[in-house]
Amino acid sequence: MSGGAINDGALATFAEEVGADGPVACVGGRTQWSVGGAVEAGTREVRAPAGIAEYEPAEMVVRCGAGTTVADLDAALGEKSQCVALPAWDGATVGGVLAVGRSGIRRLGYGPVRDTLLEARYVSAEGRLVKAGGPVVKNVSGFDLCRLLVGSLGTLGLLAQVVLRCRPVPAVSRWFAGELDPFELRLRLHRPTSILWDGTTTWLLLEGHPDDVAAQAAFARAPEVDGPPPLPTGGRRSVRPSELRALTGRFVAEVGVGIVHTAEAQPPAALSPGAVELNRRIKHEFDPSGRLNPGRSVLA
Amino acid sequence: MPDALVADLRAALAPERVLAEPLELTLYARDAGIIEGHAHVVCFPLTTGEVQACVRIARAHGRPFTPRGSGTGLAGGAVPVEDPVVIVTTKMDRILEVDEEDRVAWVEPGVLNLDLTHSVAHLGLHYAPDPSSQQSCTVGGNVATNSGGPHCLLYGVTSAHVLAIEVVLADGSVALLGGVDAEPAGYDLRGAFVGSEGTMGIATRIAVRLTPTPPAVRTLLLDFLSVEGAAATVTGIIAAGIVPAALEMMDAEITRAVEDFVHAGFPRDAAAVLLVEVDGLPAGVEAAAQVVADVGRVHGARSTRVAADEAERALLWKGRKSAFGAIARIAPNYYLHDAVVPRTRLVEVLSRVYEIAARHRLVMMNVFHAGDGNLHPLIVFDRRENGVMERVTAAGEEIITACVEAGGVLSGEHGIGLEKRDYMPLIFGEADLDAQARLRHAFDPDGVANPTKVLPAGSRCGDLQRVPEGAWI
Amino acid sequence: MTLHLDDDELVSCVACGLCLPHCPTYRVTGEESASPRGRIAAMRAVQWSGAPLEGDFTRFMDLCVQCRACEAVCPSSVPFGHLMEGARETLASDTRYQPGWRRAGYRVLGRHRLLLTASTALAVGQRLRLVPRRFGLPRLALRRRPLVATGNDVWLFTGCVMDAWMRETHAAVMRVLAAAGAGVALPGPGAACCGALHEHAGLVEDAQRLARRVIGAFPGEAPVLVDSAGCGAALKGYGRLLGTPDAAEFSRRVMDVHEWLAARVDALPVPARRFPQLVAVQDPCHLRHVQKAHAHVRTVLGRYADLVELDDEGLCCGAGGAYAALHPDMAADIRARKVAAIARTGAVVVASANPGCAMHLAVAGLDVRHPLEIVDEVIRDGR
Repeated sequence: MSGGAINDGALATFAEEVGADGPVACVGGRTQWSVGGAVEAGTREVRAPAGIAEYEPAEMVVRCGAGTTVADLDAALGEKSQCVALPAWDGATVGGVLAVGRSGIRRLGYGPVRDTLLEARYVSAEGRLVKAGGPVVKNVSGFDLCRLLVGSLGTLGLLAQVVLRCRPVPAVSRWFAGELDPFELRLRLHRPTSILWDGTTTWLLLEGHPDDVAAQAAFARAPEVDGPPPLPTGGRRSVRPSELRALTGRFVAEVGVGIVHTAEAQPPAALSPGAVELNRRIKHEFDPSGRLNPGRSVLA
Repeated sequence: MPDALVADLRAALAPERVLAEPLELTLYARDAGIIEGHAHVVCFPLTTGEVQACVRIARAHGRPFTPRGSGTGLAGGAVPVEDPVVIVTTKMDRILEVDEEDRVAWVEPGVLNLDLTHSVAHLGLHYAPDPSSQQSCTVGGNVATNSGGPHCLLYGVTSAHVLAIEVVLADGSVALLGGVDAEPAGYDLRGAFVGSEGTMGIATRIAVRLTPTPPAVRTLLLDFLSVEGAAATVTGIIAAGIVPAALEMMDAEITRAVEDFVHAGFPRDAAAVLLVEVDGLPAGVEAAAQVVADVGRVHGARSTRVAADEAERALLWKGRKSAFGAIARIAPNYYLHDAVVPRTRLVEVLSRVYEIAARHRLVMMNVFHAGDGNLHPLIVFDRRENGVMERVTAAGEEIITACVEAGGVLSGEHGIGLEKRDYMPLIFGEADLDAQARLRHAFDPDGVANPTKVLPAGSRCGDLQRVPEGAWI
Repeated sequence: MTLHLDDDELVSCVACGLCLPHCPTYRVTGEESASPRGRIAAMRAVQWSGAPLEGDFTRFMDLCVQCRACEAVCPSSVPFGHLMEGARETLASDTRYQPGWRRAGYRVLGRHRLLLTASTALAVGQRLRLVPRRFGLPRLALRRRPLVATGNDVWLFTGCVMDAWMRETHAAVMRVLAAAGAGVALPGPGAACCGALHEHAGLVEDAQRLARRVIGAFPGEAPVLVDSAGCGAALKGYGRLLGTPDAAEFSRRVMDVHEWLAARVDALPVPARRFPQLVAVQDPCHLRHVQKAHAHVRTVLGRYADLVELDDEGLCCGAGGAYAALHPDMAADIRARKVAAIARTGAVVVASANPGCAMHLAVAGLDVRHPLEIVDEVIRDGR
């Protein structure tokens, strides 16, 4: 057990702060603040509590305030050679990363962000503290509200405290790069952590046992590099992994995953009419007055 | 004289795919659990359009509907309550598309889990969730219950392997949830639907992720003279930073029964055995296997047997998977529980579970997914013994309570269904249940999709959900 | 209304459903009524809740192929075959389940001379193109060469249809046994029919009568070898069918011919060259699920031919004794899965240790042979 900076009292205070009336937006590190549209002007801003509430390394789960930065969390977990599979963008908070729901460039190896959240305590539009999921690594007790909250941009509830699945920090973690066929690598290597490709150069992140990493690197025939390339930040597009083959222009693509980072903005992805209607009904059920993060929408 | 509902269904599907005779309906009164209900009519659609027709006709006649796959669930999720139209997906059993490059397969809901794995094995791929019923259960049923299995410790449960679902909603309309691209737009409706136990509609096409078969595998059998030693090894392995592909525990009684049944060389005098599997790349696997063996030795493992080849590995797994066959030699009936506790509380919870069984004079065995704390206390009995069902039920309730008190949850992979619906308030407060009821309401405002399942009556604030009539244990 | 089944047996099913994918009729239909679990639920409805025997119940029971694959995979060891035979026995005695014409048909099997005469007539009919192919009969011989006993080491059970229609298979089996150094004794006319089909149809008294005749036809201690998996399973079950020590003692002497040969495989000649084609092994249900002797086929045949396994885990082919004749559509649907599984192996020749399976599969255009016919061919080619 470590931390203790956040307790039930802090959650209650946060719930009170959110209250039951008036537009309110939850602010994290503002690293993805524009995703889904700008928050309406005049919206009251709140911040979720920060700090680790409970961490038992042998459980490989951690309970922390949604306002905790991913970097702080990883630093604490790192003492026990663990981490969370959340992208540690500069200043990003756990709650913010979950609310936006975008995975980092290690998604190929670590899985999507949505699989990391085990339990959430959030403040509902009525200002009530609500619990979703449970604090254990396997749980099918009731409906999966956690999955619904991840990527909801705080429009269904404001995350206050979360329980996250941890993962061991790999023994070694090395980037390689060269003019390689990324699609071939993806098929021939066993579970690489990341393959990035800009149409010419391929960057490859290999993690695990040193001998395995060395053997896979030898197979790939690529020299080691310091790290991944800078990602264009103008736009982000989601496609089927095999569609990446047809990409042209300037981009960095996450091979095997299907995310394309571009300099220019991307249009919002289309959704079937049936799914649009379900999105609308869910928003209406959870936040009928539209007070949570007004202006931001998962369909924008 | 068939009623108008039956006649309409027969006209929409085909007469032979709509069953309404009393004996036929009897066969759909239950799943693999112990709760029985009653179906009004049973139909077998072949297409999404026919599923829509079933739903619309049911609604036009004021009837709810209950989806059903192979009926291997243990929590009563497919038990017909309120005289519903039972919509069986077993005839929708085609694998529609396998995309080797994207490692995605589109399947109909009636495809059997193991059939899917067999059909892609030649590509070096498999479908990772492997519930013990994987030879019989359907992918649609797996989606409904968010099924697990031994290898979900490393690979994750069904939700991590389902990318997109075409769903017939409670109003008969079709929606595509999720997508085969990386970040489908909108709320994660796919995630919300997985594990909804038929209360949000019926999956008619499912896109699942296929997983590459690992290049190296090591399977170890460790035996212990104390349950505590085995449990401490479980937490020790996790704490050492190893996430095995599978980490299974069998207690003394079940180990003996299994060994007498399959002769796999399990130690008959062990207090507990652990079956541990690590997979991945060769060096990492070797190192992990060494750590597992070392941690075991520190906690008193008497011996560590490493499967020398695929045949020995298969034999060890056969021992684990034959657990139910073995118990049949002890008594004709069993009640299999399913709860999850924090891994560090395994010893304490296990001893409480044994104590509860002893107090109720019941034979209890434990064979379970120790790696993720997923307990499966197994009570064996003969249901013809007078009053035994009352004792089984009472013990079950105490076991669940003990797990919850240790910080656990009601179910790790079987689901809530009818079996545990009324225990939901043990782990969820009024506001928590209300939120879940809202999600359900968004999908099915009139409550006609598999009514009375998962959420206890009154979950929605001000909601008067009916208590199931005609359902009994 | 009761089915007169053993409550202990009937209660033992926990409805887990692990049998479902192994049941050929469930595989085709996806319906509970066509599954072992559903059939047991139906039996319970009759025995415990008074559901009627006639109508749906009879239909559900009749659709079972009795392959007993469900027994082999049942975690609770439910004796499904025995339950099904019991249910059919009650149907046969208490209802019109087995009408006179069917009973008459089964009785012909036990009257060997009549069967031989009828078979010759059929063979003539085939030559005159009077017998439609869809009947699924092999091309019958106009003349059958008599088998000649070669010694007293082992008995060979010759049976009814197999002796009438596929006597050349017996001849091949005898040659292989001779090659292994065994003299083969042949039974008298009492061994005309094992009674398996009667037992499966619920005509238990007829089956018992035939069983007693068969036992009487094999005096002495010599092993009784059977080259038809269905008959072998029946003979091994006489102890239970008759419930006498003599019958149990007889059943202990019964072996599938591959079982006997597998223990003496080194006595068989070393092949000069192996069988030229890849052979797909089809396991007859009553060899695999009931006798559990399917590995022995591989031991013997594998010495002479390169074998390839099917990927269907021994799913039934749909022959089921008289089943293919009584349920031609279902049998054909079941067979389609088997044919597809065989096609996936790429093998052209199929080995099947049961004449019923061989005939049923041959109708689908496959080249099906008894395993020992293949062995016999290789041994003879090597001389």
